Amino acid sequence: MTLAISVGLLVAGGVYLVVQRGMVRITFGFVLLGHAVNLLLVSGGGAFRREAPLMSETDASVAADPLPQAFVLTAIVIAFAITVYMLTLAGVGKRDDDTRGGPAVSGEKDEEKA
Amino acid sequence: MVLPLVLAALTALALAAPPLDRFLGRSTGWPLAAAFLGLAALVATRAPEVLSGAGAPSFDAPWMPAVGVGFHLRLDGLALLFVSLVLVVGALVMAYSASYFSHGRHGDFYLLMTLFAAAMFGLVLADDVVLLFVFWEITTICSFFLIGRSGLSASRPAVRTLILTAAGGLALLTAVVLMWVTTGTTRLSVILEHSAWTDDPAFATAVAVLVILAAFTKSAQFPFHYWLPDAMAASTPVSAYLHAAAMVKAGIYLLMRFSPALADHAVWQTALIGFGLVTAVLGALFALQRHDLKELLAYSTVSQLGFLVAIIGVGTPAAMAAATAHTLAHALFKATLFMLVGVVDREAGSRDIRKLTGLRRVMPVTATLTGLAALSMAGVPPLLGFVSKESMFGAFLDAPGPGWVGPVVGGVAVVGAILTFAYSFRLVYGAFGGPTEQSHLREPKAAFLFPAAVASVAGLVLGLVVPLLNPLVDRVVTDTWGLVHDSDLALWHGFSTALGMSVVVLGAGTVLFLRRAWLDRVLDRSLFPVRGTEVFERLYRGTIALGARVGDLTRSDSPAQHLAMPFVLLAVLASVALSAGLAVGDFPAPVSRPMDWVLVALIAASVLGAVVARSRLAALGSIGVGGFTVALWFFTLGAPDVGLTQLLVEVLTVVVAVLVLRRLPRSFHPTGRVRRAAAAVLAIVAGGVAALATYTMTGRRELSPAADYFLTEAENETGGTNVVNTILVDFRALDTLGELTVLGIAGLVIVAVLNANGLLPNRQPTAIHRFAGSPIDSPTDATILFRTVGRWLAPLVILLSAYLLLRGHYEPGGGFISALVGGAGFALAYLSAPSSDRAPIRWPYIALIASGVGVAVLTGVAGYLEGSFLRPVHLDIPLPWGGEYHFTSALVFDVGVYLAVIGVVVTALNRLGGDSGPPGGMPRSRGASRSGRSAGKETR
Repeated sequence: MTLAISVGLLVAGGVYLVVQRGMVRITFGFVLLGHAVNLLLVSGGGAFRREAPLMSETDASVAADPLPQAFVLTAIVIAFAITVYMLTLAGVGKRDDDTRGGPAVSGEKDEEKA
Repeated sequence: MVLPLVLAALTALALAAPPLDRFLGRSTGWPLAAAFLGLAALVATRAPEVLSGAGAPSFDAPWMPAVGVGFHLRLDGLALLFVSLVLVVGALVMAYSASYFSHGRHGDFYLLMTLFAAAMFGLVLADDVVLLFVFWEITTICSFFLIGRSGLSASRPAVRTLILTAAGGLALLTAVVLMWVTTGTTRLSVILEHSAWTDDPAFATAVAVLVILAAFTKSAQFPFHYWLPDAMAASTPVSAYLHAAAMVKAGIYLLMRFSPALADHAVWQTALIGFGLVTAVLGALFALQRHDLKELLAYSTVSQLGFLVAIIGVGTPAAMAAATAHTLAHALFKATLFMLVGVVDREAGSRDIRKLTGLRRVMPVTATLTGLAALSMAGVPPLLGFVSKESMFGAFLDAPGPGWVGPVVGGVAVVGAILTFAYSFRLVYGAFGGPTEQSHLREPKAAFLFPAAVASVAGLVLGLVVPLLNPLVDRVVTDTWGLVHDSDLALWHGFSTALGMSVVVLGAGTVLFLRRAWLDRVLDRSLFPVRGTEVFERLYRGTIALGARVGDLTRSDSPAQHLAMPFVLLAVLASVALSAGLAVGDFPAPVSRPMDWVLVALIAASVLGAVVARSRLAALGSIGVGGFTVALWFFTLGAPDVGLTQLLVEVLTVVVAVLVLRRLPRSFHPTGRVRRAAAAVLAIVAGGVAALATYTMTGRRELSPAADYFLTEAENETGGTNVVNTILVDFRALDTLGELTVLGIAGLVIVAVLNANGLLPNRQPTAIHRFAGSPIDSPTDATILFRTVGRWLAPLVILLSAYLLLRGHYEPGGGFISALVGGAGFALAYLSAPSSDRAPIRWPYIALIASGVGVAVLTGVAGYLEGSFLRPVHLDIPLPWGGEYHFTSALVFDVGVYLAVIGVVVTALNRLGGDSGPPGGMPRSRGASRSGRSAGKETR
C-alpha cells in the first residue's frame, strides 16, 4: 500500500513536470518517473521480506528478493547518465523556454540591473 | 541422407555460382544444368522406394529442440512430383540461360536462381511447418531479387510482388502458429492426420482461409492475379522458371499438401472451385487481349493455375490425378513457350504479335517446337496437355455439392478451355503465321533451342506413353487423398462425357480462331473497371498516408505533445483493464509498516514542492529531497546496495544540476492556466493508475524461484555473500556489460553535444552588496573551509572507494557504489576549487570510459578459459603468511564498472562546469571573474 502510494505520487509529479515547457522541468520529471519505476521494480519482488540479501548476516528464508535490486541498481546509474545528458541539452539551448525566465522572483531584479 | 545432401549441394552450388561466373561468364548455366540433372538422378535413386509405397525416405535433425521444431525432410509422392519439376525444369532453364544472356557477368542471376531452386526443394520436402514457412519466405525473397535485378523499370513490380506475396506469407505464418498451438506439434505429417480438423470446425475453417490466402497470393489467383503479369519485367529465364516450376507452383503444392485435411471442408471447396474457375476464365480472356507474347503467356499461366486450383478444390481421387497430370503438362509446355518466346525476342527483336509475322518460313524448327507446346496447352491429342485436360473435365463433372454443381462447373471449365485453345493458336499464328517480312532471319544455334526442344518433345512423348505416369500419379493421389488409388491416365477412354467436352473445345476453339478478327474487336475494351496494380498502388499510398496521419499526432516540436502520449495511452489501457475486471491475488504477508508512512509523507512533500516551485533551485531542492527519500525507501526495503547507489547518485545529480542551472534564469518560464490544468488532470489520472497497478499487480506472491535460487546458491556458486553484487558481476554480467556500455555512450554523447554546441555562459554572479569586502565576496576566501577539509578528505575518499570496491562481493559496495563515492570525491574537489579554471580534474575522462568498457570486455574474453564469455575465473592464491586469497575475475569486471562510471562523472563535472560559452563565441572579460577557458582547451 505504502509503496503503491509512493509510486503513484512520483508518477503524478513526474507526468506533471514532463508536460511543462522547458528542458529542466522535463528532466526533473524524468528523475521522478525514474524513482517511480525503480520502486515499482522492487515492489515486484515483494515488500513483505525486508532483510538485506547479505548471506553473511541474513538467513535465506527472510532475505528480500535480490533480483529486482540488481536491476534497480544499474537502472539508477543509467538514469543518472540520462539525467546528465538531458541537463546538458538544457544547458546548450539558445533561445527557448529555458533561457527566457519568468517574472522576477526575489532578488532577480538586482541581478538584471547588475 | 540423399535429401539433406541434395539441399546442401544446391546451396553450395548457389555460393559457387558467382566465382564460376568469373571464369565462364554466361556459360555458367551449363555446369549448373549438369549439376541439377545429377542431383535429380540422385533423388531418382530413391524414387522406386517412394513409388512402390514402401515408405517415404526422410531425414530428421534437431533444429530448435527446446520447442520441438525439427529439420525434418520427407520425400513422398507429392514431394517427388514437385522435386522433379524443380530440378529438371531448373536444369533446362539453366542450360537455356547459358545462351539467352549476353556475354558478360551474370553471377547474381545464377546465385539467385540456384538459391531459388534450393528453397523450392526444401519447401516441398519440409515435414515441419516452421521449416516449410522459412523456405516459403526464401522463395518470396529470391523472386523479389530476381525480378528486381532487371533494372529500374522492374523495381516497382518487384516491390509489389514482394509485398503481396509477403502478405500471403504472413497468412501462412498465422496458419502455422494456429496448427502448432492446436495440435501441439510442428511435424506436418502428424498435423495433417490430427483429429482437430474434424473435431474443431473453427480451427479447420481458420486454417483453410489462411492457407487459401497464402496459396492464392503465391499462385496469382483472382483477385491477386495481377502480380504475375506485372512481374514480366523479369528476364525470360526467370519468368520461365517462376511460371513453370517454382514460385507459383509453390501455392499449388501448398493446396495439394493440405488437401487430405481440408478437402471435405465446404469453405475450401467453394473458394477453390469458385475463385479457380473465375481466374481460369478471366486469365484466358486477358490473354486473348494481349499483343506482347510474354504478357499473353503470363495471363495464360494465371488461367492455367486457375484450372489447377479449381480441380484441387474438387478433391476427388480423379481430380487429384488430373491435378498431378496437369501440373506436369503445364510445367512442360509453359517452360517451352517462355523459352521460345525468348528465342523469338532475341532473334526477331520483338515480342509483339502485331510486328512479328511469318517466322515459320525462316525459323521452322522454332515454329514446330512452339506449335507442339501450344497444342499441348490447347489440349489437342495426342499431347500430354490433352490427357490432363480431359481428365480434368471428367473430374469437374463430379464436383461436390448438389447435383447441378457438376455440370455447371464442367460447363465453365469448357468455356475456359475454349478460350485457352483460342489464345494458344493466337500465340502461334501471331508469331509464325502470315507473310514473312524479316526474311534475313535464321534459326538460332542448336544449343539455344535444345532446352526448349527437350521440354516440348517431352510433352508429346509423355502424351503417347501416358500410362507410364500412372505409378507417380497413384502415389500423389494416395498422399493427397489419403487412400490408395489406382489411376488410369490414358489417351483413349472410350466414348465418355469428357471426350464430348474435348470435342466441343476443339470445335468451338477452332471457330474462335477462325473468327479472330471479330474476337479481337469484341475484346478490344477494358474488361475490368480497375487495374490490379493501380488498386495496389492506391492501397499502398493510402497505408503510408494513414501511418503519417497517426504519426502526426505526436510529430511536433513541442516535447509535451509526444511526452504526454504514452501516459494518455497508458490511462486508456488501464481503464480498459479495469472495466474488464482484475483477478487480484493475496499478499503472502503484510507489506506495509508504520514507518513507511513517514516516507510517503516525505515523498508527497517533495513532489508537491517540485511541482509548485517557480524557482529552478527550489525545484532542484525538492527533487533532491525526493531522491533521498527514495534512497531511504530502499534501505527500509532491505536493499542497502541500491540505497547507497541512490544516495550517491542523488548527491551527484544535485552537483551536476547546479552546474547547469547557474547558466539559466532563476525562475521557470511561466506556463498558462490551461496547460497547468490539463497537466494536473493527466498527472492525477496517471498517478492514480500507477498506484492502483502497483498495488494490485505486484508483490502478491511468494518469493520467485529465481530469487530463491540466488539466495540459496549464490554463495556456493560464486563465493560472494552479497547476492545483489554477485548477480551484477557473476550471474548477469552480460546485462551489466550492456548497461556499462550505455553509460559510456551517454558520456560520449555529452562530450559530442558539447563539442558541437557550446554551453550557455554563466549568469553574472549576483553582487551581494551586504557582504562586499568581506571574505564571502571572494571566491578564494569563501572556499577555504572546503579546501581545508577536502585536503584531508580526498585521500580518505579514495581509500574508502577502493575498500568498497574490494569488499563489494561480500558486503554492500562494488563497482557502481565505489565509483560513485570516488565521483563524489571528485565533485568535492571540483566545488572546493577557488575558480573555474582551477576546478577541472585533469583526468582523461574519455580514456577512463573506454578503459572501463575495455576491461569489462577483456574480463569477458578471459571467461572463455572457463568455457564461456564473462564466466568468472576463480583462483586461490596462497598468501605468504598462510591461508589463501580467493581471487575471482568478477572483481576485475567490477574494476571495469568502476572506471566507466568514474569516467562519466568526471566528464559531467569537467564539461558542464567551467565557464565555457559557445566555442569561438563571445570574447570574455578576463580579470574579475578569472574565467576564459574555452571549450576546446578543456578536452586536454
